[in-house]
Amino acid sequence: MFEPFTDVVPSFFGWLNQGPMTLTLFLHTVIVLPMYFIYKQEKARLEQEEG
Amino acid sequence: MANNYLTSESKKLATWYFTFAAILFGAQLLFGLVAAIQYVMPGFLFEILDFSVARTVHINALVIWMVFAMMGSVYWLLPDETGIETVGIGLGKLFYWVFVAAIVVVVLVYLFVQVGPADQTTIWFIMEGREYLEAPRWADIGIVVVVLGFIYNLYATGMKGKRTGIVTVLMADMLAFAGIYLAGMGYTDNISVDQFWWWWVIHLWVEATWEVFVGAIAAYGLIHMIGAHRKVVEMWLWIEVAMLFGSGILGIGHHYFWIGTPEYWWEIGALFSALEPLPLVAMFIHVLYDWGKQQGAQEAQGKEVSVVTNKPAFTWFVLQAFGNFLGAGVWGFFHTFPQVNLYTHGTQFTSAHGHLAFFGAYATILIGMFYIAVQNKNGIKVMKATKKSIWATCMIFGGVLGMTVALTLAGYVQVLVSRAQMGATWAGYFDGQAGIWFAQGMDWRLIMGVVTFIGFIILIKDLLSIGSATHHER
Amino acid sequence: MAQKSVWSDNRFWQRSASWITGFAAMLLIWLTFDTIPQIMMGNDTDIKEGVTKRVPGPTVINYKITYEMSKRRGHEIPVIGGANAEGTSSFQEKELFFGRDDWSQEEAMEMLALGKLASQAKNCMNCHTLLGNGAYYAPDLTKSWLDPMWGPEGPLQAMTGKSTKEEAMAEFLINPSQYPTHARMMPKLGITAAEAKGLVAFLKHMSTIDTNGFPRNFGKIKGAVHGK
Repeated sequence: MFEPFTDVVPSFFGWLNQGPMTLTLFLHTVIVLPMYFIYKQEKARLEQEEG
Repeated sequence: MANNYLTSESKKLATWYFTFAAILFGAQLLFGLVAAIQYVMPGFLFEILDFSVARTVHINALVIWMVFAMMGSVYWLLPDETGIETVGIGLGKLFYWVFVAAIVVVVLVYLFVQVGPADQTTIWFIMEGREYLEAPRWADIGIVVVVLGFIYNLYATGMKGKRTGIVTVLMADMLAFAGIYLAGMGYTDNISVDQFWWWWVIHLWVEATWEVFVGAIAAYGLIHMIGAHRKVVEMWLWIEVAMLFGSGILGIGHHYFWIGTPEYWWEIGALFSALEPLPLVAMFIHVLYDWGKQQGAQEAQGKEVSVVTNKPAFTWFVLQAFGNFLGAGVWGFFHTFPQVNLYTHGTQFTSAHGHLAFFGAYATILIGMFYIAVQNKNGIKVMKATKKSIWATCMIFGGVLGMTVALTLAGYVQVLVSRAQMGATWAGYFDGQAGIWFAQGMDWRLIMGVVTFIGFIILIKDLLSIGSATHHER
Repeated sequence: MAQKSVWSDNRFWQRSASWITGFAAMLLIWLTFDTIPQIMMGNDTDIKEGVTKRVPGPTVINYKITYEMSKRRGHEIPVIGGANAEGTSSFQEKELFFGRDDWSQEEAMEMLALGKLASQAKNCMNCHTLLGNGAYYAPDLTKSWLDPMWGPEGPLQAMTGKSTKEEAMAEFLINPSQYPTHARMMPKLGITAAEAKGLVAFLKHMSTIDTNGFPRNFGKIKGAVHGK
């Protein structure tokens, strides 16, 4: 399932680099996904202000 | 410019910064011409003012004039945004003169001492020899002190007066801008570590903090020149901050492909920096959209006049939105993937991108700020374009675009011949340089450089005379 | 109920911008802590024990350097002292450098440090590129140590009248404008004999840095364009 490690020194980020896009998609996801919680909180706040 | 309508000390100080910035802008173009001539006539000023010296002054004057104009822009907009006079103007004025004096000394040493023996004295007093950060260490420390003073003024004013979204963004951005500079001040024997930290400064300046800075300036300009709605503009500004920093900070990876750093930077650099053009597209759309919206709203009220209160400045702001997208976005995207960058890295391709990106993203909007200062200094309500301002805009923008195209074509032949076919050796390098496309590209770059320089002279003439033209609304 | 949309709410975007900026910055710092140890310079013990480093120790100047395609990595890598069965550095085959192949860690480091300092004091980077970064007025220096032009059959070595690569390079650096190699010449920069030696050590060391295959095909292709 996992690609063999090819870089000089093994590392966490090198391991995430499993082939095209795996590492970068992982990083993008962890950056963008928490915006969901910000969205929820702000939605609740707006509803409270209106209600 | 006989009458000075400026009452704010902060704005008066801003005009000092703009004036010195314009002088350095001229120096940048002049030394760029020297370097361009040397590509065409290699013997020109050989062992008197060599290419390395001309280029050092060319790129240092570029960075410093922009830093000056950026600091000037902040001093300019602070009273408008916060509603109070800037705190610490005396300090600002003192540091202005310290900064100017330091730069004059640094440039004189570049020109007349040029290089030193291989010891730390050279690093401290003559030159650090790292592209863009050539300034000797004493000047580094001076810059940090001066910028800290500037940050103090910004924070003191922002905390005392009204803190708008624009001011909040600027406060965070300028602190990062100053802090990142520290990463480039050290010395190490290890060239890979050296370049790692060197990119922290160069990349995180021009592809992160400076971009956010121009976003804030553009927001200010839209509110003041076309009466755009602050809430809408500031919402856009926050979206731009999220997208610029979100892609730009880790986009630094595209500089870590080949300097000895691990292979995982290929992935990070490729996709994060591939997304860097997105906020630039957004900024372009945002400027045009707001303009159309404001104009439409006014025409709906039956008023058939332009909403723009400063034609030349607004022209430069729109050119910024376009030039940033084209130069930083498209030309940057060209060679940001490692598969492509393996062959384009360190060729005239980079140079083409550098010219259009620095100009499109930063020079344009800062020239716009010069015009805003001229308008207010002369108490003009609606400033119209003059023949000179139109000529200057066309010649400078056309000139830089022409240089970029010429350098791109030169870069093509370099990539194909020197890199892909010849494998980047000494012989490969000079075979590429001998290519007809390359040689003609360099000729055209020089011609377009001269066009740009003439445009600059007209621009200066216009900045000095447009205030007394009679066709403005006062 | 007529709700205001979160998507057009300034506070939502302000908080998102703060989160994204802060988290991206934290990731960059984390990545920096991961990368810096990988690019710290190795030492003589690594070389003696056959440990490959991205930036090897300064005593690589005692060894023969080549630039070979690695099957495992999918690009070229510097090979120090000949290749082993896996195609990586075996650190066996030595090569004289200014007449010696037993430069100690301290001696080699002293030369390398002087060379690095000279590369900055002489502003090399504003004509040349190093690791591909700098100006584009003169050839890239990343693998210049391996350039056939300076090799035993290369015209540049013959031009200086020296019998080894390192002596030829040092002689050229001291008096570059005496040896017009091209219409675009290198100016005399007041480089001393010691600085020149240091610079050559710096260049030889730089050719051993693992640059992930940049530049591609260096020195492999002969006569591609004008049939030379």
